[in-house]
Amino acid sequence: MLTYIPKRIGQGLLTVFLTVSVVFVLIRMAPGDPAAAYAGPLATTEQLAAVREQFGLDRPVWEQYLIFIQQLFTGQLGMSYSFQAPAFEVVLERLPYTLTLATASIVLAAIVAIPLGVWMANRANTGKELGANMLTIAGQSMPDFWTGIMLLSLFAVVIPVFPASGFATWDGLVLPTITIAILQIALVSRMVRREMSNNLALPYLTVARSRGIAERVLTWRYAMGTAAIPVFTALGTRFAAMLNGVVVVEVVFAWPGVGSLIVRALETRDYPLIQAAVVVTSLLAIAVQLLIDLAYPLLDPRVRLGKAASA
Amino acid sequence: MSATVPAAHPAPHVSPPSAVKPADLARSAAARTRHSVRIKLWIGAICALAVIVPIVLAPLLPLADPNAQELSARRLAPLVDGHLFGTDQLGRDLLSRVLFGGQVSLTIGVLAVLVSGAIGITLGAAAGYYGRWVDTIVSRLLEAQMSLPLLMMLLLVVALFGPSIPVITFVIAIAQWPEVARLTRSLVLVEREKPYVDAARTLGLHKIRILIRHVIPNVFKQASLVILLLLAQAVLLESALSFLGAGPQRPFATWGRIISDGQNYITTSWWMVTLPGLMIVLLVVGVNLLGDALRDSGPIGKRRSPKTGTPEKNGATA
Repeated sequence: MLTYIPKRIGQGLLTVFLTVSVVFVLIRMAPGDPAAAYAGPLATTEQLAAVREQFGLDRPVWEQYLIFIQQLFTGQLGMSYSFQAPAFEVVLERLPYTLTLATASIVLAAIVAIPLGVWMANRANTGKELGANMLTIAGQSMPDFWTGIMLLSLFAVVIPVFPASGFATWDGLVLPTITIAILQIALVSRMVRREMSNNLALPYLTVARSRGIAERVLTWRYAMGTAAIPVFTALGTRFAAMLNGVVVVEVVFAWPGVGSLIVRALETRDYPLIQAAVVVTSLLAIAVQLLIDLAYPLLDPRVRLGKAASA
Repeated sequence: MSATVPAAHPAPHVSPPSAVKPADLARSAAARTRHSVRIKLWIGAICALAVIVPIVLAPLLPLADPNAQELSARRLAPLVDGHLFGTDQLGRDLLSRVLFGGQVSLTIGVLAVLVSGAIGITLGAAAGYYGRWVDTIVSRLLEAQMSLPLLMMLLLVVALFGPSIPVITFVIAIAQWPEVARLTRSLVLVEREKPYVDAARTLGLHKIRILIRHVIPNVFKQASLVILLLLAQAVLLESALSFLGAGPQRPFATWGRIISDGQNYITTSWWMVTLPGLMIVLLVVGVNLLGDALRDSGPIGKRRSPKTGTPEKNGATA
């Protein structure tokens, strides 16, 4: 345990470092000039050169990279070109919005998907289960941007219940959350169903049932007890993936989160902002992943970290 | 099959050869699984073909040119003036755009699945079969991809190499190979311990030859069961990329871009977003259902030998 956590943190930091290095090289290889994007189409050659010098883009790429690494270790990630503010702070400003959206979606998904999955497992091979199964397939087959636009036009335009975009009030959270949760519910409930029906067929449940233990206890304490780990992992992994920006949904709902920030930064070739966003979101994603692994022993006393998890 | 009355009638003198009636067998879990697999296969095939057949036959159908603008016929509602799906903001026939756009989306989806399947099976098989450092590298790659901001990387690569069809195909393949690789790796890990691999080695076959000629063919069928599910994801991913403006450029009207274009007119012209979206949903639901049914029927197909050995079971399903 004492060697496990530092080892995992080290691995995680290495992954972040490699990721952001790859991104650093890729964005500089991509066509498009940040100076031109910043100075506008009417800028003269001299103005462009001045902007390039100001951003440090006139230096060779390897020198820019060394400066970037130096910034990385001092905790500053450069100035965003388009915001004219420290890139790190711009990202941190947007982060709560993405966090709110991701948390709301995953909570909603868990609340709906776990009972739904259990319900489907208990009614395996019935007509009702087949119907629910098809609904979940439909849920995972809808493009999220389309679902978003459909919900928007229905609940913001036709029946104006919720605001169409942004985060002016808490109402604005409802539609994007539902949009994301539909896909998550479909995926997670199918997973819960699979885990539960595997568990319900195991001998220990037959034994418990023969001893007259109530069906409800059997399902929720006995079968769910062992299904909890994979379900928890799935929810956690999906949450971690959402921290990297729920790009499409944020764009549809003009949600001021990290995802829409990244899309905008890519369009304006705002190098420091892209790098800062990658560093922050992948650090968070890895931290969440680590927390999930650390929570295993709490859910399942059979798991011992450092031994089983090394595989 | 439809009889629901339990076989409870008393048989005082003649005891039946078995208490299990065909009706009981029809209600057994296996029969019901087969039943639901068949329903999924049929519905899936109907949904998928309802989209794929018109797309494939689009050049033969009496459709307007997908790019022919007619400014006097802008944003016509569906079924007006012979436009089954209506027209868009430039007066182009929406059905024609959706079908011809579908050709691009579908081509990219199929190609992406083939590429990701090839990469995934190669790397997954190598990792499972050779183990050690090969496995370490592949496993690390798989892990790293999980913590990457995937969609952002894909947008970056498209920005880098241009939004051409090969690039988008490749980008989707990058996003999808881990699933195939993980599955193939776990299958090969089991397969390589089987006696025939030892036998082949004893006969003096080279390791690579055993892997390519004997191990991979044995896991291929199971690994390829995910192909349809991957195709569904590929179509969705392509439409998302197109929606964000990183799809194939004009003159190709892909589904994602048609929806993105129509988004601005959603308040007045609902069909411009709704109908292309429904086409995507119908196709992806169909492909997903087919994929699901194939995966569910996999183990049943394998257990065919005992099934043919018990004639009553056949009678119950016939």
